[in-house]
Amino acid sequence: MYQLLGFAALAIKNLRRRVVRTVLTVAGVGLAVAVAVSLGGFMLGYREAINKSIEMLGFQVMIMAKGCPYEAATMMLKGGTGLLYLPGDTLDKVKNDPDIASITPVFVGVAQKEGSGIRDDGAPGATKDKSFTIISGIDAPSFVTMKPWLKFKGGAGYEGGRWFGAASKSEVVIGFEAAEYEQRKVGDTFYASITPNGATMPVRHEFKVVGVLERTGTQDDGTVFMPIDAAREFFNRPNQVTILGIKLKEFNQFKMREFENRWLKLPEVQVVGLQQVKNTLVGLVATAQTMIAAVAVIAVIVALIGVINTILMSVYERTGEIGIMKALGARRSDIFELIWLETLMICLFGALVGSLVAVIGTGVVERAIKSLANLGVSGSIVQITPGVIGYAILGAVILGFFGGLYPAWRAASMRPVDAIREGAA
Amino acid sequence: MSKANNEVIIEGRGLKRYYHRGIETVKALDGVDITIRKGEMVSILGPSGSGKTTLINILSCLDAPTDGTLNVAGKPVAGLKEDDLVEIRRGNLGFVFQQFHLLPTLTVTENVELPLLFLGKKPDPVHTREVLAMVGLSDRATHLPSELSGGQMQRVAIARALIIDSKILVADEPTGNLDRVSGEAIFQLFKKLVNEKGLAIIITTHNMAFGYEADRVITLEDGKIVKEERPPGKAQVG
Repeated sequence: MYQLLGFAALAIKNLRRRVVRTVLTVAGVGLAVAVAVSLGGFMLGYREAINKSIEMLGFQVMIMAKGCPYEAATMMLKGGTGLLYLPGDTLDKVKNDPDIASITPVFVGVAQKEGSGIRDDGAPGATKDKSFTIISGIDAPSFVTMKPWLKFKGGAGYEGGRWFGAASKSEVVIGFEAAEYEQRKVGDTFYASITPNGATMPVRHEFKVVGVLERTGTQDDGTVFMPIDAAREFFNRPNQVTILGIKLKEFNQFKMREFENRWLKLPEVQVVGLQQVKNTLVGLVATAQTMIAAVAVIAVIVALIGVINTILMSVYERTGEIGIMKALGARRSDIFELIWLETLMICLFGALVGSLVAVIGTGVVERAIKSLANLGVSGSIVQITPGVIGYAILGAVILGFFGGLYPAWRAASMRPVDAIREGAA
Repeated sequence: MSKANNEVIIEGRGLKRYYHRGIETVKALDGVDITIRKGEMVSILGPSGSGKTTLINILSCLDAPTDGTLNVAGKPVAGLKEDDLVEIRRGNLGFVFQQFHLLPTLTVTENVELPLLFLGKKPDPVHTREVLAMVGLSDRATHLPSELSGGQMQRVAIARALIIDSKILVADEPTGNLDRVSGEAIFQLFKKLVNEKGLAIIITTHNMAFGYEADRVITLEDGKIVKEERPPGKAQVG
């Protein structure tokens, strides 16, 4: 142990001898590790965000109008326009299916907030200036059965939060973020301009806020809820629904397939299992993740070459010293251990620095990814856990383990008499 | 008065070291017989290329002879590979070089204690202080080599040999980079170590005056011993 500590101290002194070179090499490793940690955090975070978002939908299956299932699912998870609607009788046809445990209809529309124009979801800046708001027309009792975690916010200004009556046309419940953004509390007035189907000009409506929901970390936070009948009327889409959210009595692949086959006979309907949505969303970013992983691998290889180069240069510069150490009784294994330790230390320092940079830069990475792509989920998509950092550090140490082999072998193989002569030259 | 006795610590017979350069064979050492006893200081003199360094490298187990027999500290050396040679060097041999060869990032104390690290022995601060006092560097213990004079650096190298209680000290041109005063001081220190600690010291030097301070002077030419003499006033031993 004393010997190992002694070698470690000697290795640190050697690394400090050429501070700039060591710092640059550590920075190279750090950069590679930061990319790897961020990527790992993104992979983990994104999967968890999808899982959470889908779980928090409360449904296992959605019935919706035929179209792109990904877009439909994204709309439900994250909001959007370009909505397709189911015929009003779909609910009546489906609701008596023997495998259904519970079903809730949801009507989604997009309203213009006071003083702003309706913007298409894909329009530049649409989500930045929050010029639209998502209106979700729901059947409160069945909706809450699906999402038992929905709770009303308490505290000053939020007392007495409740769901609206089914027949009400002037009451809304607002999600946490929407309320924060609009600065609305229970009892406040909320204005929304809705363009009815077939009309060109929006109609201004005044609502009373009867409840503000606690944060859920999902799209519900940014949604304004109202009774489904009222929403249908304001949007001039009587009896239509956007989706039917369904929980099956028994949910497995077999039952899901049976259910799907039963209702695919309806010409305008598609049945989407949320597992399928999850797979679609994960697949969507898989290509991007592969590309980022390729960049990370290249960064790691470049860093490794840098480490080997640095240690080799250091070995060549210290040829004479290595010869002297061997003359003084250092065995081949001692020299090997010393040079190897230097490599491992560079990789370890680099891994620690890189992990720190990745942790500090999580917010930046998250914003960058979200600005580049619509990933279909809300909430945090980069999760740098101790596990991710642990794997990155372990990976860097393993790379150092292998990267240090050649320089260490090279140093250990020097004949002392030659090394001393070369060092003196 | 040296503490030389009959105990032979190095004995070489018919030592040869040949190098091959293409079709040419360079006979750096060509049949040298040599005996070094404990408590004896031996100078090896000779012009450049005479084989002084080759001989000293072989006697100190840094290199192996091409032919001949060699015993160092009672162990046969001829034919051994580097991995075996290091086992003989460990704890038996100390080195002093013309270029000093101290590790620049280590303090005087750390340089002196370096061989202990390779032997896996924990340094004893009291012993280190004693060794530094013996070479006159007590007040330089925490200095870096760059803060020392040439003579002081050479003393650190000597202390590095003493810390492991080496039986043999090998000095290749130890005064080559020193001024005359420092060189004399180093030779006085060598004499003191021979007398007080009974070390065997082998020195190569170009400096005849220093060379004849030794108990025995061996002159090499073309890889062969051409003269072996005992300076006036030096008693014959063995």
